[in-house]
Amino acid sequence: MTSTRLIHKVGVGAIEWLYAHRDGFRLEPDVDPEVGFLERFKPVGELALICKVLFREGVAGSHQSHLARELLDHAWQHTLAGGRMLVRGQRTEPISPIPFEVYLPFRELGYSQPELERAARLNHRLLGYAAFEMTPVRRLGLSAFQRRFGLPPQPPEAELVGRTWLGRTPEPWTVEGHIAYAITHTVFHLTDWGERPEGLPPPVADYLATWLPVWLDDWLDLQRWDLLGELLVVDACLPRPTLDERAWEGFAAAQRSDGAMPALRTMPRGEPEEVFDVIYHPTLVAAFASVMATSRALTQLAHAPA
Amino acid sequence: MKQSGTSIRLTGAVQDLATEVVSALRGGDHLRLAESLSVRDETGPPGDLALAAVRVLGPDVLLPAVLRIVPPDPDDLAVVRKAVDAFPPSADASPTSRWSHWAMRHTLLRLDPPLDDARTDGTEPGAGWLDGVPWQFLTHQLAVLAPLALPADDSALTRAARHRPVDVARGFVRAVRRRDWLQAAGAGRWLTLLDGVPDTLGLEGGLEFVAQMGGDDPRVALQVQAAQLLRAGAAR
Repeated sequence: MTSTRLIHKVGVGAIEWLYAHRDGFRLEPDVDPEVGFLERFKPVGELALICKVLFREGVAGSHQSHLARELLDHAWQHTLAGGRMLVRGQRTEPISPIPFEVYLPFRELGYSQPELERAARLNHRLLGYAAFEMTPVRRLGLSAFQRRFGLPPQPPEAELVGRTWLGRTPEPWTVEGHIAYAITHTVFHLTDWGERPEGLPPPVADYLATWLPVWLDDWLDLQRWDLLGELLVVDACLPRPTLDERAWEGFAAAQRSDGAMPALRTMPRGEPEEVFDVIYHPTLVAAFASVMATSRALTQLAHAPA
Repeated sequence: MKQSGTSIRLTGAVQDLATEVVSALRGGDHLRLAESLSVRDETGPPGDLALAAVRVLGPDVLLPAVLRIVPPDPDDLAVVRKAVDAFPPSADASPTSRWSHWAMRHTLLRLDPPLDDARTDGTEPGAGWLDGVPWQFLTHQLAVLAPLALPADDSALTRAARHRPVDVARGFVRAVRRRDWLQAAGAGRWLTLLDGVPDTLGLEGGLEFVAQMGGDDPRVALQVQAAQLLRAGAAR
């Protein structure tokens, strides 16, 4: 069985790296409109989601929790200027769901921006928002966020599961990189980012229990650490996580001594901001996978015969 | 690593022989193995290369007769018997080599029962080397021994496979993902015989996919063809 200490240490290192490099979470207000102001919001939203998981699972040490809280405050006060940047983003692209998606985890952690909430409620009533073209897994995520915000999800999540790749439980050998990310995010949305493992419909949970070991094996050998980390989160969201020893040991070994997790094979070279943009995501994922797997390992321990 | 001249010629001979077997499985042509023995290889005595190719392909050389697509040809049986005798497993042979050798003798007995008990297939090798091994290794070894995947055979190897249908299915997916078509075809052939293979695997489409992607190699085509015949037989 994988050592819980090994799993836990991956997350400790990842949060320390993210805290030390918090200035990497930055917006570009003067960006070329063709690139889009909202492009740089995604990392901030992901940071908030993962910090929420960390507080919720309650398996982080006090130092780790303190760093996560500092990171969140930094992102809200500094990067998002107390939420004003979210409003600005909303005014730049009024029908985009991105400001709402970034805002929601902050709101759940106690931050507030009433103007953005008014825009979210108006958008929710617009047919143009419901009709906004997006992939089924993204639509599933948006419906889940609407539910979490307190709005009736449009359309209801139950209607959307069967439209996703995972919901159709296809031949497991047809999966490839982009599909694999759609799979992991379908699981994140159905379980509220690991909070409700029971949110996975039983046929989907069975399907994942059967085929996830193959995908872990595959992306471990390909050294695709970012995707492997997300698949390790999926494992921790299953009714019976395997906490796959070989995958966890490979994942932990890929992490640098300062806590950074490369996305693919080894660390990229370049200017600090460029490097941040490549590795912030696998490092956030490392924190997410570590917290989820540590929590599940402790649950297993609690239920093991004495 | 460069292949030696002999190794390249053997690979070619194995592929030619596999092509013939596929043709026999599809159309009921006879193999005429005995004729191939008369072909002189430039480096060795006549027939050496052909005999080695028969040993490499193993009991699948007789698959058209085993599946009763053609009647067993006495000359073909004699050639296979000669190959069995020419390449006995060494004292330190791998389990797959021992099983493959045993399976050739077993197939000969099945197709050409002796009048007395003079010839036997010998003691069946054990399958203990597969106990508790990871699914990746299990599938690899079973795929190497795909010629043993036959209906109504109850060897220790078959029983080992029957215990782990989900693991063999995982190995099939792994082999397809890695584009190891020969392993995928061999694993797919075993899966046609196992109960408890997850429906979501999509085995039928998977076998066609393997044939489409890797079927230029006659050894892959042979395993897929065998799998499809076994599957059709099981469905009857």
